[in-house]
Amino acid sequence: MSEIIAAFLEASVRLGAPLALAALGESITERSGVINIGLEGSIIAGALASALGALAWGAGWGVGAGAVAGLVAAAVFALFALGLRCDQIITGTAVTMGGLGFTAAAYESRFGATGTALSLPTLGPVTIPLLSDLPLVGRAFFAQAPTVYLAYLLAPALWLYLNRTGWGLELRATGEEPAAAEAAGVRVVRTRVLATLFGGALAGVAGAHLALAHAGTFGEGMSAGRGFIAIAVVVLGRWNPLGVLAAALLFGAATALQFFLQTLGLDLPYQLFLALPYLLTLLALAGWVGRARAPAALGKPWPEPT
Amino acid sequence: MSSSADAPVAVRLRDVHKRFGAVHALRGADLSLGFGEVHAVLGENGAGKTTLLRILAGLIPPDRGEVIVGGRVARFRTPRDAWSAGIGLVHQHFTLVARFTVLENLALGVRWGGGGFALPLRDVRRRVERLAEETGLAVPPDAQVGTLGVGERQRVEILKVLLREPRVLALDEPTAVLAPGEVDMLLRLLRTQAAEGRCVVLVAHKLDEVLSVADRVTVLRGGRTVLEAARSEVSADLLATAMVGEAGALVLGESAATTAVRRPAPAPGEPVARLEGVTLSGPRGERALKDVALEVRRGEIVGIAGVEGNGQRELAKVLSRRAQPLGGRATVPPDPGFIPQDRAREGLVPDFDVAENLALALHRRGEWRRGPLLLWQNVRATARDLIARYRIAAPSTRSLARALSGGNQQRVVVARELESGRDLLVAENPTRGLDVAATAFVHEELLRLRARGDTGIALLSTDLDEVLALADRILVMVRGRLVEVPEDARTRLGVGALMLSAGESQESSSSV
Repeated sequence: MSEIIAAFLEASVRLGAPLALAALGESITERSGVINIGLEGSIIAGALASALGALAWGAGWGVGAGAVAGLVAAAVFALFALGLRCDQIITGTAVTMGGLGFTAAAYESRFGATGTALSLPTLGPVTIPLLSDLPLVGRAFFAQAPTVYLAYLLAPALWLYLNRTGWGLELRATGEEPAAAEAAGVRVVRTRVLATLFGGALAGVAGAHLALAHAGTFGEGMSAGRGFIAIAVVVLGRWNPLGVLAAALLFGAATALQFFLQTLGLDLPYQLFLALPYLLTLLALAGWVGRARAPAALGKPWPEPT
Repeated sequence: MSSSADAPVAVRLRDVHKRFGAVHALRGADLSLGFGEVHAVLGENGAGKTTLLRILAGLIPPDRGEVIVGGRVARFRTPRDAWSAGIGLVHQHFTLVARFTVLENLALGVRWGGGGFALPLRDVRRRVERLAEETGLAVPPDAQVGTLGVGERQRVEILKVLLREPRVLALDEPTAVLAPGEVDMLLRLLRTQAAEGRCVVLVAHKLDEVLSVADRVTVLRGGRTVLEAARSEVSADLLATAMVGEAGALVLGESAATTAVRRPAPAPGEPVARLEGVTLSGPRGERALKDVALEVRRGEIVGIAGVEGNGQRELAKVLSRRAQPLGGRATVPPDPGFIPQDRAREGLVPDFDVAENLALALHRRGEWRRGPLLLWQNVRATARDLIARYRIAAPSTRSLARALSGGNQQRVVVARELESGRDLLVAENPTRGLDVAATAFVHEELLRLRARGDTGIALLSTDLDEVLALADRILVMVRGRLVEVPEDARTRLGVGALMLSAGESQESSSSV
């Protein structure tokens, strides 16, 4: 029994990690007042770029290539949504659709539609001494790919950044009341662009994790809606990096549970289990979050149109 | 106008209570309004004036107490119910659709007030023209409201209410955004409305304006009615004391004395900011600043007067480095202090607490940081110190900015901008909407800063009295140009004439 639980926990963490990475980045983006629903585009671009990078230079560089690709996708979003002040929702949707289409086309033109799965150098687990010996949770949490540890480290680091540094204060002010931030000497647009690029880069790393640590291959549309779930994770985590990490692991668990329920051989259509994480998303948004408040200026263009 | 004491009672509010969360806005307020009278409601910020008016207009229900119209208890669930009872409110904040034309906005009001199925634009135009003639409220009917100045918008707002022919006309701080000439016109209009048998109720905190127009006066303090009397029975001193209470009156006397002391002649130092031939576009692409030249030196207050919307916002932006001029040269120190006019939006982040708001502009200070980390205990210690020194009525450094009254919000902004020891301070309508005590506080602090001699102060204000009282030199902003006021024209009338000269001719050309 404990083996099953340990395996379930391991899968939860492995499946939760890409959500955590993307959602941690998005939480910073959103705290600056930008909602980037082009996150999915950054994830899939990161996945493809990391695959190409890993083939050329090895898995480690693949992660870097994924980060850069995610950042580039976010830069496209920033150019239109922040530079030209286009509607953030529409711009984000365009980046997501464009990212999915572009990666599919690029993949086919590079590898052809052979039907055989691409085999990539993978990002293997790194075992942390001592911690990984903890009963039950040890291997689940501390024998994972390096990208998982990045999420562990980033959550408290970003919390410190937001709540304990002057730059974090400026970023939060930008998301709450850009007029006040500007009057206090903050460069609002620059802050938002940087926060968006940071979020895109992390989403790219999330894509790299999917391709190199989780699947070991690239497939069209392999991001599978994770960009959107990451946005729900930000809400569930109440825009607080520590909460976001916890929420991402919870979603990872829901995804893992789905596989386990399928293996139990219950007489239910498997699509029902597939829907579990998304059902959780809806329940989370409706119930749990309740009255948690989004940044007041979230999604609003700056300077304000007249 | 003295017959109003026995005027028939139009509306009575009796023992009204209203709470917003922890804030007890009204705790037993009474108001009795008669037809044919101008009734002024006076009180400090946070006394409950606006809340009382909003209850009268059906915007919010009272927690306790009654609204009695024509002898019967009325229960207004929506503003529409109040309208049916003949009560119309001119809001303090504008409620116009910026993208609509003036006429469309006015038609919206008529429709909403029970108009028919079709949009009666032609009918409304006729009525607007007639009403504009009767009242002198000139507005350009086909202009987009978004392009109008504040004074014009105010006129539209009043017309919108008048078009529905209310029996009770309520106005919330209607003079706050108007130039002196416009104020006089509005006050005359209110008198005419009362003479025609309407009941006019007016919320204000500028005593002199109120005294010149009101028949009866109700004073609120701390959410209670503390005085109700005919204008002829009370003196200005009595009203001021009623507004602030006995303890407050002492403070007021003190500060009035300090302001009255004539300041020593200015000994301005080197220039800290210089604009030469500066041009800048406004929000709608129009040329908002035209060939502006200005110099601010250490230890002086340069006053910039003008009717709202003549380019002051853009000038403030250039001086506070929030905008680069299109043409010309602007030499401004790197990190100027800035007291914005819209403290609720530009001055403070409403959901930050007092310490966070202070840290937002001051966090680059060395003693507040260790590496990248802010030392919050040091920030909070400084915040506690500032709360005490600037007498900010906040329970703790963790009080959210949105929970503070307007006067206390401004104290936070002033404390923050004055503490940082900068070369230039830009103050844009720093006392707009503040009560007497808070206004006196801001004025004292500006004069104290001037006396220290390290900072040059640019005071942009549409309140002419403020500029006359504080400034060493006065310039007037008219249609994007700056005109220096000669020493012998430093009077209300002299500056006022300059302020209106070019502005009026432009407005009348496009008006009804």
